[in-house]
Amino acid sequence: MANSVSNNLMLVDPKTGQVQRWVENIEDPYQIGFSPDHKWLVTTGLRLNRLDIYHYDGHNMTLAGRLPLAVMPSHMAFSNDSKTVFVTLQVSGELAAVDLATQQVKWKMKVGKVPAGLWMTPGDKYLLIGMTGADYVAVVDWRNQKVVKTIQTGKGAHNFRSLADGRHVAVSNRVASTISIIDEESLTNVGDITGLMPGPDDMELSADKRYLWVTFRFAKHIGIIDLTTRKLIQTIAVGRSPHGIYFFDRAPVTAPNGA
Amino acid sequence: MFHLIVSALDSFVSTVQTLLYVNLVQPLLFRFGLMGYDEDTYDSLYWVIVGVLEVLAMYALLRPLEALRPVERWDDRKAVRVDVLYTWIAKLGILNLFFFFALQPFFDAVQGWLRLRDISNINFDNLWPGVTTQPLVTFLMYLLVLDFAGYWYHRGQHRIGIWWELHAVHHSQRQMSLWTDDRNHLLDDLLQACFFAAIALVIGVPPAQYVVLVALTNLAQSVQHANIRLHFGWLGERLLVSPTFHRRHHAIGYGHEGLKYGCNFGVVLPWWDMLFGSASWSRVMEPTGIRDQLEGNDYGQGFWAQHWLALVRIARRLARRRAPAKDAAAI
Repeated sequence: MANSVSNNLMLVDPKTGQVQRWVENIEDPYQIGFSPDHKWLVTTGLRLNRLDIYHYDGHNMTLAGRLPLAVMPSHMAFSNDSKTVFVTLQVSGELAAVDLATQQVKWKMKVGKVPAGLWMTPGDKYLLIGMTGADYVAVVDWRNQKVVKTIQTGKGAHNFRSLADGRHVAVSNRVASTISIIDEESLTNVGDITGLMPGPDDMELSADKRYLWVTFRFAKHIGIIDLTTRKLIQTIAVGRSPHGIYFFDRAPVTAPNGA
Repeated sequence: MFHLIVSALDSFVSTVQTLLYVNLVQPLLFRFGLMGYDEDTYDSLYWVIVGVLEVLAMYALLRPLEALRPVERWDDRKAVRVDVLYTWIAKLGILNLFFFFALQPFFDAVQGWLRLRDISNINFDNLWPGVTTQPLVTFLMYLLVLDFAGYWYHRGQHRIGIWWELHAVHHSQRQMSLWTDDRNHLLDDLLQACFFAAIALVIGVPPAQYVVLVALTNLAQSVQHANIRLHFGWLGERLLVSPTFHRRHHAIGYGHEGLKYGCNFGVVLPWWDMLFGSASWSRVMEPTGIRDQLEGNDYGQGFWAQHWLALVRIARRLARRRAPAKDAAAI
């Protein structure tokens, strides 16, 4: 768990909630991500405008490089070969590609208003980016650094969670307070889930892939959505401004084909 | 019991925060292309709502006491009104908003620069994991450090002439009341914000999440300035700054002259005055203000006059290069 104000990571046993250890001097870790091969840990310093890259050997994190990256790096996604990390820069409206081995920015491109969450489609074909300052998901051909399509969702498209069915990914629309389901083959919005509490943010999927759990960032609750009916069936009061959500007994991060 | 009250208040404030944010603030952010700051804005709304509640609570609690047990009886409260404006500016977070956009990026850049060179800060929370991770313990540590820093900032305000001229806006109030705590020159507020932001670079970011406890220290400072005949007893006076203790600091001829250019500089705790020999335990109620006001010097009645005249006084000091009065050192 990343503590962006305390500047450290807390390693917790997900089954018992016991704190196993602390990792200090991880500065301003707004988001953290491991590369697919688990050899790199990357943290975005939203407040400090930089990216920190660490070697990870399964237990220890040793700093590989810190690089300035403005303005407001927030979310990330990795290429499946673990060579590149893509980072959205919220305030400058850009997407940056960073080479992990050299910790250098390879390129930056403008994508739109307040890009946030990213999702890599199967075969690393496209990057989907939630445009939180607009009402769509941008489809980016990252190899050619071009926005090739936009998928209308709802205001404040923010973050993604694969439905692990080989085809669909959910995106939260934090301003509209809806969740859109995107077909990764046709790159279209195939339906919205409405009737939610304010500010759906991060999402998690149950092991049986039936229930989508979501944090309501502006409503101090989390919600459980039955995906067969696409209805919110339960809410649970939690603390202030819930953000990330995870349970150990979850559906895989992606389907086997990467969707 | 305390936990239940805090929990209920937190629920209330959070509900108002959600309603305000979703229905009013977020649509404006979206409309004007400011969604990059949405999370910070949402978080800061909590403070704004607490600020409004603080003002309502301090008025409800202290105004009746000012009516029942005043130190001074006034013909009218005209001179108090401008302090109400200062208070709303502070409590509605307008100063914080300005600081966030104007100065916070600089301090974040300095922190980034320091960390890129592996210069780390002292992380209070994890000095003693298990103990210092307890919220109350961490809060008390921060209170001690920041109150200590506040004491020395205040000593500086009285020691350095041009700085005194800014702080004189606060001391020029001759009808000190529950509203006076936030009566400060905006430049002085800015300086203070920079001072504490610099400290945050060393000890880490102060615990903005301890809203209730910070609100209580704000309330304590409102009590200190209130026009209420109140002292905390021999022991209480030595634990917390009381209205009597702080009124001494504002007293003409006693509070801001002498070898240390005054006495009773403590913000929430009188301990630093006790430690550094600047405490006065006299309970005699004296008029507040600055000596040269008795000789006709005008520090301004309105908000802008008070601000402008401070700059005029600074310019005069710099031109003269000698102390015009006993209130602070020459420059």
